[in-house]
Amino acid sequence: MATNTEFNYEVTDDSPGYNRPQTMGNRLWAPMFAMAIMAFPVALVLSWVRASTIADAAGPVDIEDAARLGHLVAAFGFIGFLGVFAAISFAIARILGRFRKGGGEIQESVGGDVHTLRMPVTAKVFMLFMMMGMMTIGVSVVLHFVAAAGVGTWELESVARWGEVLEGFRRFGVAMYLFGIAFGLGTITQVLRFQTIRVGQLAR
Amino acid sequence: MTTRFDALTRPKSGDDHRVSSKHRSIGFVLAFVGLMLAAVTLIANIAAANSDTDTGTTAAWSFGLTVLGFGTLKLAIGLVLVGILVRLWFRVTAVKEACANLKPDAGAPEPRGTIQTEFGECTETAEAPGPLPIHRMARTMWFPMLAMGYMLVVVGFVLSLVWSGKVEDGTQQAAQAWTQGVQFLGEGMLLAGISFLLGSILAALREGGGTLQQSLGLAVRTLKMPKTAKLFVGFMVAGLMVSMVQFVLYIAAASITNPQSFAAWSAWLGPFREFGLGLLLAGIVLALVTIGNVLAFQFSRVREIITTGK
Repeated sequence: MATNTEFNYEVTDDSPGYNRPQTMGNRLWAPMFAMAIMAFPVALVLSWVRASTIADAAGPVDIEDAARLGHLVAAFGFIGFLGVFAAISFAIARILGRFRKGGGEIQESVGGDVHTLRMPVTAKVFMLFMMMGMMTIGVSVVLHFVAAAGVGTWELESVARWGEVLEGFRRFGVAMYLFGIAFGLGTITQVLRFQTIRVGQLAR
Repeated sequence: MTTRFDALTRPKSGDDHRVSSKHRSIGFVLAFVGLMLAAVTLIANIAAANSDTDTGTTAAWSFGLTVLGFGTLKLAIGLVLVGILVRLWFRVTAVKEACANLKPDAGAPEPRGTIQTEFGECTETAEAPGPLPIHRMARTMWFPMLAMGYMLVVVGFVLSLVWSGKVEDGTQQAAQAWTQGVQFLGEGMLLAGISFLLGSILAALREGGGTLQQSLGLAVRTLKMPKTAKLFVGFMVAGLMVSMVQFVLYIAAASITNPQSFAAWSAWLGPFREFGLGLLLAGIVLALVTIGNVLAFQFSRVREIITTGK
């Protein structure tokens, strides 16, 4: 019995349960969420210290401090964004896991074959862009720490240029995360369509 | 008003559940446009950092263009979420028909009030419970928030071009403050719109699950609002408030004439507005987690109906 020729699905005797990314989603959304919740306030507090340094700046030492703090504020802020976007992505994977496991268990309880959608292209795009976004922001954060450590030994102009380039990479990392999230949610739409058709078949 | 926006999230009569979602396709195209806008600003930033003549002009317009790209991506996510809502209603209809055919006849049990399940505390009532106030609010507010948010992001992009034009003569401070304040208020509203759409999904799951059980003549089991859902609302409100406060503070900063004072204000207002977005995004995480938990509860309930008829 074909569900719909347009879908690529597997047929089993029982529910396939969670796949590996979905298991990861179940385990990792909470630690990523916790990381984000801690990093944003740290960035905010550091920014207040930096603002006070700039307001009272009276010499080159203060300018160096402000430059160092500027890189640290960006680093902690984007640890926050890395964490919260990862948590969103893992929570979406967790929802997809609920559909896969729950849909399989309902078919199993009715008896007969269990039809499960194979991972669609949109889900692969979701994971790919999530990983690329995570790496882009992660590397930028590390380089912000490197630049902060370089203040005092590097020329201030180089420190500023690093900041400008890293800002572009950080922003692009966020865009990749958001692009991946759109595809992750699009996969839920596809799964809902597949399951609605399958439920109709079960009733018959 | 609520009905008009709510109608956008429900299938129209005659819509076929087997046909692929248009919302999803348009959402993917919009997401690609947003990604490309961000790619343009990445290239511009690299070029500006290697240029001896650029004194901040590129940083100004690329800021506006990046936020426009982010806004477009968030609008795309909103559109895909509308597609999910439409699909959820198709699913409710299909599951109702399937359960009516598959459920063994076991009579109508008496509702037991509040009961404990492995997914948390839930109520058992004779009739499907109505929407909670937060659900009604979500159904009313998602559209205005997305529309106003995107308009502000576009207005902010135009302001960033003004900011860019004033960099050379050093009078850019007011335009810079207005750009950042307006665009991040828009970003906050877009994320609030997405949050309201997630709230609408939770409302649809509650309403759909309730009417399904009621139509089968069963005691209606509904999960009580979990802690994650309460925290979601708290984070969303806090994030939206920070987004509004940062806008007011940027307007105040626009009138500062001393460059050193303006730099000091900018140094903390940037992370402050990002803190606001972080709160809204944290709320979105918890909304998604709540949706996952409600789905697990509902799959378990449907399985119970099919196997026991109760």
